[in-house]
Amino acid sequence: MRSFLAMVRANLKMAVRNRAALFWNLAFPALFIVIFGAIFGRGPGISVRVGVVGPESAFRTQVLAGLKQAQVFTVTQGERDAELHDLAQGKRDVVIEFGEAAPGAVPSVTLAYDQASGTSAQIGLGAIRQILVATAGGASPVEITETPVQAETISFMDAFVPGILAMSLMNSGVIGLATAFTTYRERGILRRIKVTPFPVTSFILARVASQLVMAVLQSLILVGLAWALFGLHIRGNPLVVLLAIIVGSLAFLAIGFAISGISRNTETAASYANLVTFPMLFLSGIFFSMESAPTWLQPITKVLPLAYLVNALQEPMTRGNGLDAILLDLAVLLATFVAAMFVAVRFFRWDARAT
Amino acid sequence: MADGAALSYPCRVPAASPQGVTVIADLAPTDRAATGTAPADRRPPEPVIETRGLTKRYGSHVAVDGLDLAILPQEIFGILGPNGAGKTTTLEMIEGLRAPDAGTVRVAGFDPMAQGDEVRRLIGVQLQTTALFDYLTAAELVELFAGLYDVDGSPARVAQLIGMVGLEEKRHSRVDELSGGQRQRLAVAIALVNDPRIVFLDEPTTGLDPAARRSLWQTIREIRAGGATVVLTTHYMEEAETLCDRVAIMEGGRIITCDPPAELVRKLGADATIRTTVVRGTVPAEAVRGLPGVLAVSEEPRDDGTALRIQTADAQGTLVGLLELATACDAALSGLAVNQASLEDVYLGITGRSYESGADEAAPKEEPKGRRRRR
Repeated sequence: MRSFLAMVRANLKMAVRNRAALFWNLAFPALFIVIFGAIFGRGPGISVRVGVVGPESAFRTQVLAGLKQAQVFTVTQGERDAELHDLAQGKRDVVIEFGEAAPGAVPSVTLAYDQASGTSAQIGLGAIRQILVATAGGASPVEITETPVQAETISFMDAFVPGILAMSLMNSGVIGLATAFTTYRERGILRRIKVTPFPVTSFILARVASQLVMAVLQSLILVGLAWALFGLHIRGNPLVVLLAIIVGSLAFLAIGFAISGISRNTETAASYANLVTFPMLFLSGIFFSMESAPTWLQPITKVLPLAYLVNALQEPMTRGNGLDAILLDLAVLLATFVAAMFVAVRFFRWDARAT
Repeated sequence: MADGAALSYPCRVPAASPQGVTVIADLAPTDRAATGTAPADRRPPEPVIETRGLTKRYGSHVAVDGLDLAILPQEIFGILGPNGAGKTTTLEMIEGLRAPDAGTVRVAGFDPMAQGDEVRRLIGVQLQTTALFDYLTAAELVELFAGLYDVDGSPARVAQLIGMVGLEEKRHSRVDELSGGQRQRLAVAIALVNDPRIVFLDEPTTGLDPAARRSLWQTIREIRAGGATVVLTTHYMEEAETLCDRVAIMEGGRIITCDPPAELVRKLGADATIRTTVVRGTVPAEAVRGLPGVLAVSEEPRDDGTALRIQTADAQGTLVGLLELATACDAALSGLAVNQASLEDVYLGITGRSYESGADEAAPKEEPKGRRRRR
């Protein structure tokens, strides 16, 4: 145990002193938060997911036709409870609920929307109001009640920070571990460790443990920064957020470890790491919604671990949902961890020379 | 043995040293130079390292070929040889870093592959590559390794180890701020952290300036005086000659000869080496070979003429004959030098090539590049 702690302590010292890595892990995401926070707060939503519930009526049919014409809406018709649940899960931006009305009369309309989807819902609401008023005809104004799903306002930052957090965890995990172990191998550090009584599994676990400590610290700093500058509000249980951070980090550390195994040297490790992280960065819905991506791209976005980490962080942080809301995400991340570890162990090498 | 340090061959092991160490010269049955020289009057001590038929192949290339080796307690044992001779691979198999393809290794009675943990607690290793973490200071690194071995890593112990390799002033410098030679010395300090019974040093003085090299030799003698056995590889003939009790010369994965340096030189039968350059005219090598006492002659063309290296059992006779011959041939000799025969002459005689020229080749050292394979 003493050996293990000595190694973890040394790892943390090295991590803090490695300025280049610190920049990528901390300053880089912090910069994103500051820049995006300063510029955005609003932005064009390109696709609005609308759920339509309530009894059939001529008015309802006309509104549906109007929504179709507007083209920005993805319309689903269903049961009231199911649609409202989907809204709470972030699968709908707006739910239009038609009330009971005498035949020929215009029914009352309730609009429920998710503030977490921010821009899409706001744009969607404006357009829906116009369609409702136009369909009803200027003469008989519709009674519109709007009930936001969340009681309080979700800012752009609330929805954006989980994504940036996921990005920074991915970068420090994949890039950090991929290059670290390749460098250790190239320099003969792994061989040097192998001639001590300290087991190499402990050496690897010590590295993972210190990376996890760094990941949590890094998350605290980023969240603290967003809170101090932009009033970030975390709605859910911080322990669920912590769990997502740890499980997500493990998945990406394992990917980094696997890359170090299959890379020839530090340079190839760095390019493989970038090859893995960059597409995920842009296809996981952190910077722009994947709703607008072409259909052939959609399945790809469904298999990227980063998308699941983003969701696992957004559910508790932005939507205030509990552990049950992120079980699938955690399962996918754990599966990623297991698969990547399998590759890592299969291709692990002591020695740069014996390739 | 410590008393002998003041003499010109400080580490020569006599038949019986104060520690009761006896040299057994007949280590390798295939060792042609050693045949029949084993002292029979004393019971040889148990070797601390013993290999039998040790073999390692990389593809079709045999890196180490049936090596038999016995290293005695408290020896400073040197392994010499050109790049690719199998020195590092041999060390790696003894240290448990590489599994042999055939043969056995015993380190203090343990098998380094099957009983790795026992062996790793007994040995201290300095690897050829600079195997150190950046971003840690010299003192922090020594402390870390003390932690990994779970041995004393107190500031006093760390200071003592760093002092042994003369890095006191650099103990708070980060590894990336140290020079190559300083890192090398730090690696030696780390190899001593667990107070090992056997210390392996793979080219410990490569890249050191002469003063640092001498100071490291002193450190190595102190390690041995503390009761440890030291196994080192080196590129420096002078180092092997002054530091090592016994030297094994390796080539092509085999030990060609293994003896105390002075014994190797004595067996060469040469009294001296005469070097000169024929700057005008020619002195036929055949005629030189016929001079009294001459054992071997080599010629090498140079910019300024032809360099001659003559090994002789009779320096005076050869020298007089050579000068007469030159006069008769109307040739001019320049840079005439007569040196007592050294280990380098042994090496040249055995491998047929100059050690230093082989030492300049770039790493990787042991395996030819095209024959790498995954383990």
